[in-house]
Amino acid sequence: MRDGLRAVSPGLIALAIWGVVTGVAMVKAGLTEPQAIAMSLLVYAGSAQLTALPLMAAGAPVWLIFAAGIIVNLRFLIFGAALHPFFRDLPWRKRLFLGYLSVDVSFIVFMPRFADAIKKGTLEQHWFFIGTILPAWVVWQSASMLGIALGALVPVSWSLEFGAVLALMAMMLPHITSRPVLISVVASALTAWLTQLWPLRLGLLAAVLVGIIAGMWAERRLQTKQTESKARQ
Amino acid sequence: MMESTQYLYTTIVLLAICTAICRAGYLLFGHYVTLPEGVRSALRYAPLAALTGIVIPELLPWHPIEGPQVDLRLLAAAIAVGVFLWTRNGFLLIVSGMLALWGSRWAFGL
Repeated sequence: MRDGLRAVSPGLIALAIWGVVTGVAMVKAGLTEPQAIAMSLLVYAGSAQLTALPLMAAGAPVWLIFAAGIIVNLRFLIFGAALHPFFRDLPWRKRLFLGYLSVDVSFIVFMPRFADAIKKGTLEQHWFFIGTILPAWVVWQSASMLGIALGALVPVSWSLEFGAVLALMAMMLPHITSRPVLISVVASALTAWLTQLWPLRLGLLAAVLVGIIAGMWAERRLQTKQTESKARQ
Repeated sequence: MMESTQYLYTTIVLLAICTAICRAGYLLFGHYVTLPEGVRSALRYAPLAALTGIVIPELLPWHPIEGPQVDLRLLAAAIAVGVFLWTRNGFLLIVSGMLALWGSRWAFGL
């Protein structure tokens, strides 16, 4: 559990900043404090909350907001598929609990560490995961509450939201360790840049798909090259 | 500003269901679907791609009418990445990026 906490701690800075930003955004969109607190505790998904707020303020139909929430959160379905082998033997209540509380950061530190583990679903892995999601929950909720309390007090000119972007970059960069990963990131960056006017943040989904395809393509190409050079020797 | 309280809480509950479906759905029902190893390895690229998809529109926003925009955020982010590559320290990345943004705004009188 302590290993999980240690691994996740740089990501907690990102979560804290995003949490404050989301808290401020909820109040600024017109939610009362109890409503904002309920949203933070129940929804617990920064990107979905930030996507839903302008739609809610515009009085969009609830089915549309639901659909937008699903799309922005689709990446978690993908993460869930990767996490499934590690948690498949747990009772369903625990799976629901661990899944509901899992966040990007926990996935990002968990997978590189255990993806190639021969034995999946060990106690060590479970506690590592819990060590990432519990501090993430505490930090996110406290930061959101702080943001709700600060509300309109934080001057827009501070550009606090840029700190959140930088924090995300600080999480990403250490994981760009191989050429296929770099190619994947460049491809998804290009896609994200070109598709950002797409409605409902569908461009985010496009960026994920293109990033996966580019990464796999680069990985396969690298393998072919390596086998070719071995064959020549 | 917001519509009725009922509308608001309905939306909040529906969004909570979104969270549950997306985050726990596969863990709950994955037994009935098996993913080939190839797909699993493909999914390793997903998280970084998703983060890229969130970060890029913040750094290089695209105005609906005027098209692609470039502002000081990009400069600040470039400086921050440079600092990270030099120091390998995530915290310094954040600090230097914020300082670069504030500093360059001040220098350009914005």
